[in-house]
Parts: sequence; structure tokens; C-alpha cells
Amino acid sequence: MNHPVWDLPFLGSGWIIGIISIIHVSIAHLVVGAGIWLAVMEGRAQRAADGEQQAWLRGRTKALLWLSSIFGATTGVGIWVAIGLVNPTATQHLIRAFVMAWAIEWLLFVGEMATLIALVRAYDRLQPRQRLILYWLYALCAWLSLVVINGIVAFMLSPGQGWTTTHAMWDGFFNATYLPSLLLRTFVALALGGLWALAAGGTADPALKPRILRPTALLVLAGVLLTVPAGWYYFQSFPPAARELVLGNLKGTTGLAQGFRWALLGLGAYLLPGLLVLWALFAPRSFRRPVAVLGLLLACWGFGGFEWIREVARKPFVIREVMYSNGIRVDQVAGYQANGFLPQNAWARTFAASKGDTDLAKGEAILRSQCLACHTRDGYRSLKALTATNSEEDNVLLIQGLRELDPALNPYLDRMPPFAGTEQEAEWVGKYLGSLKAK
Amino acid sequence: MTPLPIPLPDPLPLPMHPGALKALLLVTFTLHLMAVNLGVGGSLIAAVHALRGKPKDRELVRRLAPLLPGAVTFAITLGVAPLLFVQLTYGPFFYTASVLTAVPWLALIFLLMAGYVLLYRFVGSAGSETLHAASGIGAALLLLSVGLMLVNVTTLSLRPDLWAAQAAASPHGLRMNTLDPTLWPRYLHLGVGIVAVAGLLLAGWGAWRSHTYARQAGLRWFIATTASQAAWGTWLLVKQPAPVLDLLLDGRSAASLSLWISTALGALALLMAIPASQDGSRPQAVWAPFGLGLASTLGMILLRDQARDAALAAFGFHPGALPYKTDWLSLGVFGLTFLGLAVLLIVVLRWVMPPAASAKEEAP
Ligand code: HEC
Ligand code: HEM
Repeated sequence: MNHPVWDLPFLGSGWIIGIISIIHVSIAHLVVGAGIWLAVMEGRAQRAADGEQQAWLRGRTKALLWLSSIFGATTGVGIWVAIGLVNPTATQHLIRAFVMAWAIEWLLFVGEMATLIALVRAYDRLQPRQRLILYWLYALCAWLSLVVINGIVAFMLSPGQGWTTTHAMWDGFFNATYLPSLLLRTFVALALGGLWALAAGGTADPALKPRILRPTALLVLAGVLLTVPAGWYYFQSFPPAARELVLGNLKGTTGLAQGFRWALLGLGAYLLPGLLVLWALFAPRSFRRPVAVLGLLLACWGFGGFEWIREVARKPFVIREVMYSNGIRVDQVAGYQANGFLPQNAWARTFAASKGDTDLAKGEAILRSQCLACHTRDGYRSLKALTATNSEEDNVLLIQGLRELDPALNPYLDRMPPFAGTEQEAEWVGKYLGSLKAK
Repeated sequence: MTPLPIPLPDPLPLPMHPGALKALLLVTFTLHLMAVNLGVGGSLIAAVHALRGKPKDRELVRRLAPLLPGAVTFAITLGVAPLLFVQLTYGPFFYTASVLTAVPWLALIFLLMAGYVLLYRFVGSAGSETLHAASGIGAALLLLSVGLMLVNVTTLSLRPDLWAAQAAASPHGLRMNTLDPTLWPRYLHLGVGIVAVAGLLLAGWGAWRSHTYARQAGLRWFIATTASQAAWGTWLLVKQPAPVLDLLLDGRSAASLSLWISTALGALALLMAIPASQDGSRPQAVWAPFGLGLASTLGMILLRDQARDAALAAFGFHPGALPYKTDWLSLGVFGLTFLGLAVLLIVVLRWVMPPAASAKEEAP
């Protein structure tokens, strides 16, 4: 990491991204699905001249504006803030590579907000036909923003040979996992949006309830069922190394493997709403809101599990084969190993100087820049605990071993980046690791 | 002296000429700030009138309140674009500053969310008998504190010479940029300016909708806040680092001209606003201070950018010299999306605009 490090004890800064993104990503997909649902339902209600249902849908439109403007937009900004804090070097690289995609996404987001605000604030002034067009335009803008952001997220997992040589944005954008990921996310959006709608419909007037719940339940069912083949297709499109990483962890016993089990349980939980909505389909009058809320929570768990697996599948990279999680580019490693990390990283030097430039200070400075992206000293993935039984000698040998670039000689390369520094620097880090025990 | 810890720029080139990026930054930032003026400044004004609670104040709040949440939504949405462009051009400075003051910077999100929830509460109460003035005040203060977090990072990003001390004093990023003497005057200058422009917008709305009280109250807000800028603006000016101060006072450079012209425009707006706010003045009298005040704001936005580049030039950074490689394909897709969206917005606006006749209705 070329920038200063935000040293967040115990939790580790990565969790900040995790917490904010799971909320944001769930809401963001939900509003895409809800937009499609609203447009479909409004069209049906207009064709059936069902004024009661249209009035009810108007209430949902307001709720959607509330949800997407207060929580969707603010958590979206929150992700920007969080990734810039936790991994500024990677954020800067991604922004340089994809700024025009984000600019396009931003236009679409403005379109989303504008159509939704127009619908809510000027509902009475609009002809029914104009209203329906606006509903569809909102849905289109919302879905297109997914079409755009999906390219960047998929890029991080599978940037592809093309981009690595040309650095042309669209080469990276339409990458190997792009299409399967888009399909998968679209179906997830339908499921989440539909469940949100069922939660609202659960308290609707008894006479109105079946007219809302039946079509909505079908939408959720379709979303859940279609997610399954899309998920399979998505997994098949992974780069082979990423697929091996996932499969390997299914059997392992490390901390990572435990996380995988939670994620897999979530994928199972994702299917349950498919059963719950049968209730709304066949006995809509007795269907209750808490059932839909439960379904929504289960689906979010599953979706969170999916996002977690996707993140882990690119470890130890932020951008697979391009940049490691600690912000060091693959093409920088050789230079750092030959000429030293400290001489080329102003912030690590500044930190070491602030602590008197002792060997321990230099070790800590390098460790902050290269290791805190994934570890804490004594909390999440604690370095103190992981090295509890090591002697100082063991630690030094371990870090010096991490310099090895050949996977046959460095068994850690599937989860940790190589150590990007000289033998001497590795020794400082090893010594600092040893000193954690005394603290 | 050891060199300052300014991180290396990213190796990828910019996707277009840095001048074009600067233009996009300035345009989107101006739009952002206008929405902030309306939404955040408007919230404070509405909340204070709600607190006064006289019938004409309540009526004003009732008319003003429904505009506020949408304006804040746009303040956020339109803030994302300059956030992108600032990172693109000023990345090494922006990221470093935000990491060094990470906790206040991250707090921005929670302040924003809390302020927004309270604002919806306030606005929701505007239609009913009991007006939640306290929610309104809370919302306005929270949203204004979001502005403080932005000023905090912006000021720190301009002072690489303070970074090492800030990092040593605050390894976990808890501290604000209090080592920098421009933090508070800059915040006061901007915060007061936000309320001033909100006052102007209110006055303009009052003149357009023939709402006498809105027109006069708006001008009074503008007058009181702008008069106080003599203190905040001067304080901010004298606390500028030497290279920036020299440039601003030289009377020849573009930055210096921006400073003096926009100050003069603001002072003129203030002088003309006083008679226009009196009882019996003509509604049209609003437009001169309105136009001058907005022109002054635009000048200040330019000045802010020129002062930033002057501050960073002192540390050897010149945004105009960044390497770039124009990505025409992406620009084309962007342009088409923009056109499509513009057409859409025009059509939608034509659908939803109230007919001209009802726009002229006299306020009770
Ligand atoms: C990309 C994320 C990542 C980075 C960066 C990283 N590690 Fe790790 N490290 C891991 C993971 C994952 C494990 C396995 C943890 C487990 O088993 O629970 C691990 C395990 C370890 C272990 C235990 C090894 C063992 O034999 O079990 C040590 C020691 C360690 N890391 C030290 C470091 C040091 C020192 C650095 C910086 C030079 C570093 N790590 C950088 C992800 C990372
Ligand atoms: C709603 C509350 C907000 C207020 C009161 C506010 C106010 C301000 C102010 C006063 C500045 C000038 C800072 C300075 O020059 O020191 C500013 C700049 C900025 N704001 Fe906002 N803002 C708000 C929300 C946001 C949000 C949510 C975002 C992000 C999406 C944002 C993005 C930005 C950016 C990027 C700049 C810097 C532009 C530049 O340096 O050229 N703002 N804002």
C-alpha cells in the first residue's frame, strides 16, 4: 500500500466494507427488482381498471423512494468512503480504469432518482399512460445501473488477458464472468424485490390481498428458481484458480473454511423463500407479513454468502492477477524484493521514522502496509494468535519464505500475497511479529 | 528536510484531457452545491421558521418543506460525481487526507443518514397540526455537520506538510484536521454561504410565486448571513498559507481577480438586497441581488479551485500535467446516455409542470 494505512484494531478495516456493502448491495438489488415489480403490477392494474390496487401501488412507490434515497444512496456513498479508506491504492486503480463506466452509472442513477421523485411528487398530474411509462423508465434505469456496475465487480474477479495488455476499459468490462453474473444478479433482484413487495402486501386490505400476492409470489418463485441455473453457470465461468480456491476451502479446517460453511448454509437458506411464497400463492388471505420478512432475511443471508464467496474467490488479490489485497501490484513485487519496500514507500517510511527507525519500527511499518489488509494484530485473523507457538526464528523464516514466488515452494500463495521486500525487511517483520507475544 | 510523504500517482493514464476532467469536476460540484444550498440551507431556514411558529411562518414552512427531501436526495446524488472526479485528479492528496482523518470521514455517512431520517420526520409533520420544529433543527444541524466532514478532508488534502504530524498524533484516524488554521474559518464561510444562497433561492421563489413573506424572509436571511461574511471571509483569507495568500492578493492573477470580483459582486448583492427586503418594495427588485449573489457564488467556486491548485503547486503537483489517453468509445457511450437522459428529463418535466395559470396563484 502506497498510501497511509487506516489501522483499525480488533475488527480490522475490511469489516467496515463488509458491513456497509452487505446492506447497500441488498438494498440496491432489492430496488432493481422492486422497480420491475412496480411496473408490471401497475400495467396489470391499469388493464384491469383496478383503482384500488393502483392507489396501493402508489404507496409502495413512496416507500421505495424512501428506501432508495435514505438508505440506498447513503450506503452507496458509504461504500465509496469505505473502500477509499480501507484500500485507497486499489480504489484509485479501479477509478482510473473505470471512471467512464462510473460516470455512466451515475447518469443512470440520476435518472432513477428523477423518475421516482417525479412519480411520487406529481402522481396526480400524470395521465395513467404517462405514469406507466415512468414506472418502466425507472425500472429500466435501475436495471441498467446494475448492467454497468456488474462489469466492474465482475472485472475484479476475472479481469482477463485482454485488459491486462490493452488497459482499454471495455476489454475489462465485458469479461469472462460478466454475463453469468448479470443474469444471476437480475434474478436475485427479482427475488428480493418481490419479497419486499410481499411484506407490504401482507398487510393489505383482505379484498385486495389475493390480487397483489398471487402475481408477486410467482415473481419471487421465478427469481429464486432461475437463480439456481444462473448460479451454476456463474460458478462454471470462474477462472480455474478461483474455482479451485473455492472447492479447496470446502474441505479445509482454517478460519476461511468456516466462513465458507456459513456462506454455503446461506445459499441453502436462499432457496427457502421459494417454499414460503407458496403460501402467498395458494392461501393469500392468511399470508402474514412476518413470513415475507423472514423470507427476505433468508434471501439476504444467501445473497451475502454469495458475495462473500465471490470476494474470497479472488484472494489474495483485489483484482485477480493484477493487484494484491494489500494494494501491491503484481508487477511491483520483483522491484520491491530487489530494492526494498521502505525506500519506495513514503508512508511506511514516515511511520517507521515516527517510531525512531528501530528494526521493530521498520518491521511494524512494513507489516501495516502489507498485512493489515487481511489481519489484525490481536483481533480478527489475529497475527498474535496465528504465531503464538512460533519462536522469533520461526517468524523470520516464515516471512522470508513468503518471498518465494513459486507455489510449489510457498504453500501460502493461494491465500496470502508474496512478501514484497528484501530478506532484511522480512527479518524486521519477523522480529516485529515475535514482539507481539510480549504485548 | 526529508521529502513529504505524497503517495505515487496511479500508473494508468486519465481517460481524457485533465482540463476536461476539471471542467466536469467544476460543473458537477456547482450542481452539488446548489442542491446542498436548497436542501441543507433550506432545512435550516424552514426549521427556524417552524420554531418561530407564527401563522405566516407555519404557512411558509408548509410550502417549503415538501421541496427539501428531494433537494437533499439530489445533493447526495450530485455529490457522487465530484467525489469521483476529485479522486481521479487529486487522488494521492484526497485519499491520504481521508485516511488520516478516517473516523470523522466515515462518520459522514451516519450523520447524513440520521439527518435525512429527521428531515423526513420534520417534513412529514409539516402537513399536520403539530410541527416537529426540533426534528427540523436536528436535521439541519446534522446535515450541516456533513459539510464539516467534507471541509475537514478538503483542507487536510491541501496540507501535505501537516500529514506526518497528523499521522503521528492520530494513528487510528480519530482526529480532525485541527492542526490547520483554515478548518474553522473555511467551514464557517461555507456553512454561512449555504444558508445565504438558500435565502436567495427562497426570495426568488417568493417573487416567482407572488409570496411576499417568502420573498422578504429570504432576503433577510441572505442579508444577515452575507453581512457576517465580512468576518468569516476575512478570517479565511488571512489564514491561507503564504503562497496562496500572495497569489490572491497580487491583483493580477486569475485567482486574485476571482477573489475581488466575486467579493464585489457579493457586496453589491448585499447592498441591493436591503431596499428590496423592505415593506412595499416591488417583487422584481429581488432579481438584481438574486443574480449578483449567484454570480458571486460561481466566482467563489472558481476561486476555490484556483486556490486549491495554487496550494498544491507549492508541493510540486500540477493537475494539468497529468498523463492522459482519451477513451473516445467510453466518451461516446457517456454522451449518448447523457442525451437520452436529457430528453427523458425534458419530457417528464413537461408532463409534471403545473399549468402556468396555477403558478400565479396568490398566497393566502
Ligand atoms: C490477502 C490477505 C492476506 C494478506 C495480505 C496477508 N495474509 Fe496472512 N493469512 C491470510 C489468510 C487467509 C491466512 C489463513 C488464516 C487461517 O488459517 O485462519 C493467513 C495466515 C497467516 C499466518 C499463519 C500461517 C500458518 O502457518 O498458519 C501468518 C503468520 C500470517 N498470515 C502472516 C501474515 C503476514 C506477516 C502478512 C504480511 C506480510 C500477511 N499474513 C498478509 C491472508 C492474508
Ligand atoms: C448533505 C450534506 C452535504 C453538505 C452540507 C455538503 C457541503 C459541501 C461543502 C460545503 C463542500 C465544500 C468543501 C470545501 O471546499 O472545503 C462540499 C464539497 C464536496 N462534496 Fe458535499 N455536502 C454534502 C453532502 C455530500 C455527499 C453525500 C457527497 C458525496 C456523495 C458530497 C460530495 C462532495 C465532494 C466530492 C466535494 C468536494 C468537491 C471538490 O473538492 O471539488 N457531498 N460539500
